Amino acid sequence: MIADIIISGLINGSVYALLAIGFSLIFGAARIVNLAHTAFYMLASYCIYYATHRLGVHPIPAMLVAIVLVTLIGLICYKLFIDPIREHEAAVLIATIALAMAMQEIMLLIFTGDYLSVPALVRGYLKIFGVKIAYQQLLTFGVALLILAGVWALLKKTRVGLAIRSTAQDREVANLMGMNESRVAMMTMGVSVGLAAFAGAVVVPLKVVDPHMWMYPLIMMMAVVVLGGLGSLKGSFAGAYILGFAESLVVFLIPLGAFLKGSVALSIMIIVLLIRPEGLFGIAFEEER
Amino acid sequence: MGMLGFYLRKLITIFKGEVLVLPSRIVVFLFFLVLLLLPVVSQDPYLLRILILASIFAILAASWDLLSGFTGQMNFGHALFFGVGAYSSALLNLHVHIPPWGSIPLGALAAVLAGLIIGIPCLRLRGTYLALTTLAFPIILMGIVFAIPGITGGELGVSGLSRLSSSRLYDYYITVVLMLGLCTIMWKITDSNTGIIFHAIREDELAVRTSGINVTRYKLLAFSLSGFFAGISGGLYAHFMRIAGPSTLEVSMSFTVVIWAVFGGIVTIYGPVGAVFILFPLLEFFRFWPEFRMLMFAVVILLILLYMPNGILPWVRDKIEKECPRCKIRNVATRKTCRVCTASLD
Amino acid sequence: MKRSKLLLSVLLVACLLMAVGMPAYAAKVIKIGVIGPMKFVQGKGHWNGATMAAEEINAKGGIQVGNEKMKLEVIKVDSNEFLSMTDATNAMELAITRHKVDFLVGGFRTEAVLAMQDIAMDHNKIFIGCGAAHPELCTRVAKDYKRYKYFFRGTPFNSMYLVKVCFIHLATVGGIMKKALGIPKIKVAIVGEKAVWVEPMVAVTKKYLPKLGMELAGIWRPSAVATDATAELSAVQRTGAHIVFTIFSSSVGITFARQAGELKIPAAMVGINVEAQKDGFYEATERMGNYVMTMNTYARGVESNELTKPFVTKYMKKFGEVPTYTADTYTAIVYGLVPTIEQAGTLDADKLVAILENREYKVPAGKVKYSKDAQGRHLHDLTWGPGYLTSLGVQWQDGELKGVWPNRWKAAKGAPEITYKGIVPYKIAPWIIKEYKK
Repeated sequence: MIADIIISGLINGSVYALLAIGFSLIFGAARIVNLAHTAFYMLASYCIYYATHRLGVHPIPAMLVAIVLVTLIGLICYKLFIDPIREHEAAVLIATIALAMAMQEIMLLIFTGDYLSVPALVRGYLKIFGVKIAYQQLLTFGVALLILAGVWALLKKTRVGLAIRSTAQDREVANLMGMNESRVAMMTMGVSVGLAAFAGAVVVPLKVVDPHMWMYPLIMMMAVVVLGGLGSLKGSFAGAYILGFAESLVVFLIPLGAFLKGSVALSIMIIVLLIRPEGLFGIAFEEER
Repeated sequence: MGMLGFYLRKLITIFKGEVLVLPSRIVVFLFFLVLLLLPVVSQDPYLLRILILASIFAILAASWDLLSGFTGQMNFGHALFFGVGAYSSALLNLHVHIPPWGSIPLGALAAVLAGLIIGIPCLRLRGTYLALTTLAFPIILMGIVFAIPGITGGELGVSGLSRLSSSRLYDYYITVVLMLGLCTIMWKITDSNTGIIFHAIREDELAVRTSGINVTRYKLLAFSLSGFFAGISGGLYAHFMRIAGPSTLEVSMSFTVVIWAVFGGIVTIYGPVGAVFILFPLLEFFRFWPEFRMLMFAVVILLILLYMPNGILPWVRDKIEKECPRCKIRNVATRKTCRVCTASLD
Repeated sequence: MKRSKLLLSVLLVACLLMAVGMPAYAAKVIKIGVIGPMKFVQGKGHWNGATMAAEEINAKGGIQVGNEKMKLEVIKVDSNEFLSMTDATNAMELAITRHKVDFLVGGFRTEAVLAMQDIAMDHNKIFIGCGAAHPELCTRVAKDYKRYKYFFRGTPFNSMYLVKVCFIHLATVGGIMKKALGIPKIKVAIVGEKAVWVEPMVAVTKKYLPKLGMELAGIWRPSAVATDATAELSAVQRTGAHIVFTIFSSSVGITFARQAGELKIPAAMVGINVEAQKDGFYEATERMGNYVMTMNTYARGVESNELTKPFVTKYMKKFGEVPTYTADTYTAIVYGLVPTIEQAGTLDADKLVAILENREYKVPAGKVKYSKDAQGRHLHDLTWGPGYLTSLGVQWQDGELKGVWPNRWKAAKGAPEITYKGIVPYKIAPWIIKEYKK
């Protein structure tokens, strides 16, 4: 039972971490609440489905193509719809919701509401501590950790990462230091959408693909980000695993209430916010930045 | 008789002097007139249904604006008030047999309670944290609704409620009059002292607190008022549809309210009302192309936001009215001089 | 500037007029509104069945109403009931007041059908429900006959019978496994999605299992749209359950079957899995969905009576897939409404109701007889039983959906054995055999 919870929690947490870090990045660097983040994740899933089932391409090249394609689409959408209205935060919020709805509808049009799936990269399973784990789940977990490490390396060791981090810390001063703030925002958007697409590629063999698959991950991802503190990558990472474990605990300890896992996770978020209104690792005074 | 003539002439003078002066006021007057006199022209039940639902949602959107637009407390979980109002009035009507004119206000009071309950944890939160936290509340309530299906009927909802009134026409007048009345009240609130304080809280909360005003009390007041009006619209919805289901608590309902309000223009009460009356019939009109309906809806919103990021009604208003640089009174855009201080309007 | 403003306002008024004043069509045509979630499989089934019916009727020249022959026109109305209740009720009202339909068929989601039923009854329109199984829809008819008499259930039979058939399947599979694998006492795990219609089923199943001589291993309630069921599957395996009694209507059915297949959980799946009724299920589970058994109304090669094969073959030729139960709009129109209209010689709803509720007629799935409740009041609900409607038990074998029940089924002690034409034996998954065979 414990083994089940730990393994399930780790896998869930990694998926949320992938999504949350992308969301946190774009919020920190460009102050954009991109509610269409998980919609890009859905877009990547559909691309992979299309490539593997309709075109007969092998899953791995399909995933790479999907990631590149979705990142491009994300950048185009950003340039067309979000960049012009960046100062009006409320309008940006609505624009991203409308974007997500538009993507959902387009997917519904092309693929209809049927439930679809994407083939697993590796078949079969193994037993660890008496728990049957599918190889695909392990693969997902491993790749998620790799990508997280990659993002960490990008942010800490490269100049691009430095630019992103400094813009996130203080936009005006970064501008004064000679960093083209809107270009940094574009790059961050690219990395963010790329991460969402990566999450789609890595996670989607485990899940069912349908045009509404973006809603639940969106809510959980926002809970993770708020719990960890907006704009804080450490926080998103920690929050993802906390809520991932919370979900596993609910499903295993209360089988009759397994459907409540979303509500429980959100309640945890609210309780933490009551004690610490800026999240676990967030910054108390936004005006100080 | 002479008295009557006197008052009539006075009314006409006021009308000419106050309403006919500004195009935006003329529009509002025409809006009232058209809505109230529509049944004289056509009593098509489908048309009345669309307008009834639009009125109900207009109350909801305006109540959101009161909280999130004026007071700046971004509420992404407005469906909570709507759902609590709907379920409470439904349960009261079904089990305690209170007729609609009783169950709807009582349902609204339940929504006020909900407003206080979520207002208290939200007191310390700002901006996006607040938005995302409020998003969580209707989801949690939906989980509870599914967890006690015996009372709430789970995903089937509570059905078998009594009607609002005995005919579609009476339904129409009840909702339209309520909508016009409540929205006017909300507008008056924003114009009053309380409204100014709400404005100020949005602009700079710290400054308001240093001025000695009890910010907590006013924030909670905003939550309660918003909850009350939203609860009324929830109750009306439940009784009109004769069913109160979990669809009233969905995330998409919260988002839709926000979309309407921002599309129409926040920090105005008339913005969300106008947006609902434009977008809701538009969505129905798009029914003729069922596959593209939501897509066109989303595209319309995206385009409008690109060109009018403050909302469509303020944009229109700015095009047809000009503000005098000296006395700040609004004038028709075609005027060359201000109507009050005769300063040049260029 | 002024001219373009005028043009714009004229355009706007024209648009408004277009929206507000849709012309009423001329008579000489009977209009049937087909209302359902048209973007989803259930609505597609509604529409396909109805169009097939209309084409067939019109090819024969139309419907004889009294002295004149009238053509049939089916009108597609998207209720969008999965996503919006207001849309569903608006659509129903649009169909009745704008399109001026004479009859309505369709509906799927119970919450929406309850509201849509009210609107149809307001306008005294005959509404044949083809998708919602909740008993409440018909108990309303008994309680307030004068108002609700225009409602009939077309498909499926109500959820109480659903449960009964499930238990028969459970008992059958349990018996097969006991005999083949030598298991002394079968353990059953109940996994039902969190939904109101599942509550009574779980409660009843819990009570009934001991009577079947089976033991309860545990109850799990995942979300209806859960995308990960490994937690539940691990737990189920730990309890050593031999059978998983599934109660799924939504995407969790795919997730569960796929992961159970991937992890080779040694438990047979029986019960209700609506997604498994669809042809796309095998692909959706990445070919891991074999050996899943569920209820269904139609299956390739299975004949309930002489009407089944022509219907299924024609449908498959036209649409490329086996009809789901919502395609019974065909039955509702061709065997239900049309003969009633021809018999009555009029379109008057009251007269039609009086005739329809007393008719007993054959349909591709069996025979329709409208039931009455214990006090003898009309329910307009479907009768279940051998000779009437029993539905089928289907199982995925080698990537195809085969009919496996009724297979030498005795409805009661001493009753004759029933096997429909085209039924094949039930198969146990090889990994289950490996796990339990002594």
